Amino acid sequence: MQVLKSWLKDYVDIKLSDEELVEQLNLTGTAVEGVSYSFSDKIVVGQIKEINPHPNADRLQVAKVFNGQEDLQIVCGAPNIAVGQKVPLALIGAKFADFEIKKAELRGIESFGMMCSERELGLGDSHGGIKVLPEDYEVGKKLIDYISSDTVFEIEITPNRGDCLSHLGVAREVAATTGESIKVPEKIVLNEIKNNLIDVEVEAKDLCSNYNAILIKNVKVGSSPDWLIKRLNSLGLKSINNIVDVTNYILFDWGQPLHAFDAKKIVDQKIIVRRAGEFEKVKTLDGQDRSIPENSLVIADKDKIIAIAGVMGAANSEVDSSTTDIIIESAEFDSASIRLTSKTLNLSTDASYRFERGIDSGHVSESARYAAKMIQEIAGGEIVDVKISESKIETRSIKVEYQKINNLLGLDLSENEINSILTRLGFVCNANLAIVPTWRHDIAIWQDLAEEVGRIYGYGKIKPIALEVINCEFDNDFTKKEKLKNELANIGFCETVNYVFLSASDLQTNKIESSDLLEIKNPMQNENKYLRNSLVSGLLKNVAKNPSFDPVLLFEIGHVFDKSSEEVNLGIIASGKDAKNKIQEAKELINSLLKKPLDINIIELNRDELTRYKIRKAVTYIIEIDLTQILTNLVVTKDTDLRLNKTVSNYKQISKYPPVVRDFAFVVDREINSEDIKKHILDFSQDILLVDLFDEFSSDKLGQNKKSLAFHIYFQDLNKALTDVEAELKIKPLIEEIVKKFKAELRG
Amino acid sequence: MKGTLHPITKYLNETTEIFKSLGFDIFEGPEVDTEWYNFDSLNVAANHPARDVQDTFWLTDGRLLRTQTSNGQVRYGETHKPPIRAIFPGNVFRNEATDAKHETTFVQLEGLYIDKDVKVGHLFWILEEFFKKVYGDDIKIRFRPHHFPYTEPSFEVDVEYRGKWFELLGAGMIHPVVIKNMGLDPEIYSGFAFGLGIDRLVMLKYNIEDIRNLRSGDLRFLKQFN
Repeated sequence: MQVLKSWLKDYVDIKLSDEELVEQLNLTGTAVEGVSYSFSDKIVVGQIKEINPHPNADRLQVAKVFNGQEDLQIVCGAPNIAVGQKVPLALIGAKFADFEIKKAELRGIESFGMMCSERELGLGDSHGGIKVLPEDYEVGKKLIDYISSDTVFEIEITPNRGDCLSHLGVAREVAATTGESIKVPEKIVLNEIKNNLIDVEVEAKDLCSNYNAILIKNVKVGSSPDWLIKRLNSLGLKSINNIVDVTNYILFDWGQPLHAFDAKKIVDQKIIVRRAGEFEKVKTLDGQDRSIPENSLVIADKDKIIAIAGVMGAANSEVDSSTTDIIIESAEFDSASIRLTSKTLNLSTDASYRFERGIDSGHVSESARYAAKMIQEIAGGEIVDVKISESKIETRSIKVEYQKINNLLGLDLSENEINSILTRLGFVCNANLAIVPTWRHDIAIWQDLAEEVGRIYGYGKIKPIALEVINCEFDNDFTKKEKLKNELANIGFCETVNYVFLSASDLQTNKIESSDLLEIKNPMQNENKYLRNSLVSGLLKNVAKNPSFDPVLLFEIGHVFDKSSEEVNLGIIASGKDAKNKIQEAKELINSLLKKPLDINIIELNRDELTRYKIRKAVTYIIEIDLTQILTNLVVTKDTDLRLNKTVSNYKQISKYPPVVRDFAFVVDREINSEDIKKHILDFSQDILLVDLFDEFSSDKLGQNKKSLAFHIYFQDLNKALTDVEAELKIKPLIEEIVKKFKAELRG
Repeated sequence: MKGTLHPITKYLNETTEIFKSLGFDIFEGPEVDTEWYNFDSLNVAANHPARDVQDTFWLTDGRLLRTQTSNGQVRYGETHKPPIRAIFPGNVFRNEATDAKHETTFVQLEGLYIDKDVKVGHLFWILEEFFKKVYGDDIKIRFRPHHFPYTEPSFEVDVEYRGKWFELLGAGMIHPVVIKNMGLDPEIYSGFAFGLGIDRLVMLKYNIEDIRNLRSGDLRFLKQFN
């Protein structure tokens, strides 16, 4: 949600800088996600050094403008520019309401920025020429250093704080945080005349606790005053007409959603607030025909629905240019009901958003009067009737548990200090009770008060308290599982992690019946339709995805699901060169860790299956075991630290394009560490993605005290498929480097 | 010739070892669970907007894929007597469209501590200890107020890393309703809980460009982590 600093200042003095205010708000619970200015901070004071006519356009000129560091060429159509002037210069990257400055070419001449008019800066209406700046403005400085641009704060409000969804609400937080007082809006007194011109009947009293209707006759529907349009525009809203704009304005000003009906379009001017029946329909203001879900709260007249309560009005009672009499609605509707209706219709509006989260129960009537008064001032008209249907506003009180609050926070605040914080937030403290303000629907228990006290007092002031560390040897499955992973990695298998999902096409490829599987109701993506009942399909996909590696040795430990249970399985796959030996090695490894050996089944995929899974390798073997069979049977060893050595590899981004792989074997002295060679190769070029040691042996045949190290080296280009020729070009210097650095010999 | 462990596994092992050394048990709950264990028991009411924040994978049989590992917390609380200290690693799921920054599946690590007279200061201490062990003694952390239905007060915890503040985890004092749902008396017992996203930490640590790499099964990715 966006709030304007100038608008907040209607309700609270702000003496802090923008940075300080943002920090304070963040630290007390109002998260500020971003700060922007009504004109960009990429607009600087520039000085025109030279002006030349544009060779290809009569109405354009080419200026050289100094931006504090260099001269920029700017193409400009303004008639009032002159050499020596100081001007607002928008640099590349400066953002305006609906465009961003980029390098441009205007009639064949490049332009590297834009000089701005008053209107473009949001400072006025003048657009006939460039805004000329005063002489004393320093070239190169940001314009916002001189002309205050309104600050726009992008605020993230948590779901429990519906009260912050308006400028008044945020202003209250600013006041509580900074210690300033809130400038409470003056109570509005209207010269109301109570006639019987309109009537309100609330049938669904459980869903509507408060309904205010004000009839204003003889308004002039037209355009809104500039100040109103400007404020709405600053929030990204369009101006519609003076009546609708007032209702929108008050929603963002005080947080009360309002609606304006054309009174003459309401039968007998009698409003009924009721539940919708089974098959009711309405065309809403956005032009859409909608079927109203049964039991939704609606505003209606005798014949038709005139609004989906709290969500959107109907087109049939819309205020348009011919309207002369309007009824302003200000009401409180049940949160859960509005939410359900909004979800079912898939229609979320600024109004419904606020009703869902709770509006200020104590400000409903005042908001109606505010709207009526503003409309009178802007559009004329006389207020001729006011009807209110109201259930009693309950004041809620909570016992302030001073000791418990202090205890939980680890503080020692006096009752006065606690009361003073609560009072700053709008609570009324009396004896040991705090009356909860009508705008706070999230306060119910003393812990809620503790949070209010803690966050305003400042969590930075709470000291950490040490916990006694228990030296406890918990025997848990997690540690056993992780040790098993270590063992498998040690014999050459890489751990993979796959999604738990299967798509319909996965089912086909794997020949699985969907009736065995758990199914997702409304997946956003088709890939997420079913839950896997085995790790096999994921592992097979992994193999198919790694054509540049031979062999592919992988394992996964993950959850599998069917209609009766959820299990954790271990899956192992070996595909390609020496796969049979490797899978056998894995089987023997597992059994070596168990008290009693398991009968582990190794499945070999046949040619047909390999084709279906798009695996090109000659042979593929799989093992899948229920992990509990292993864990309960594991030989108990002393609990070892699972942390491995801390060397962090410099991760390199993977290209979208396939790598070129080359194998090299070097003969080096036995003392040389293969890791050092590996690191050196990786550092040699950004295009070397991976270095994989695949063979190591010592033999005197190679020379005294020598060994051979063989590496797969993977070359890639991030932007294209590397050709063999291109790869060859990189290889020669690499080999030379390794031979030189490690006194190595390249084996034929 | 040596294989590799997945970077998430490696990172998770580092973090679980730290909590183990502080006396925590490790418990893994089910990935498919009921609405009760994932939402209602955690004080996330049926009609509350807080349910919107997470897009949930609902199963046709009425259950769901858990959106946090707190289901494990409630189950653990039901079967263990206080004092309780345990961490809960595991997959959690969001029904979203995936792209380089968005995923359907994450690994989370949550923690739970329940005893008599547990204070906010205890939570701050545990988290400071944890981050010091991961990032060194001069790590800076700060606690900002936030909202979770299952904790009150609630916090977001930021860590200063490479010159910038990162929001790394959520935490809070367990809501009395949740304590009650674990079968314990909230007048006697209190506690705290915290949760961190392991995927995100892994992405930050290695500067990984696309979150989907983590579950791609691509050996060009997996083999970089040894």
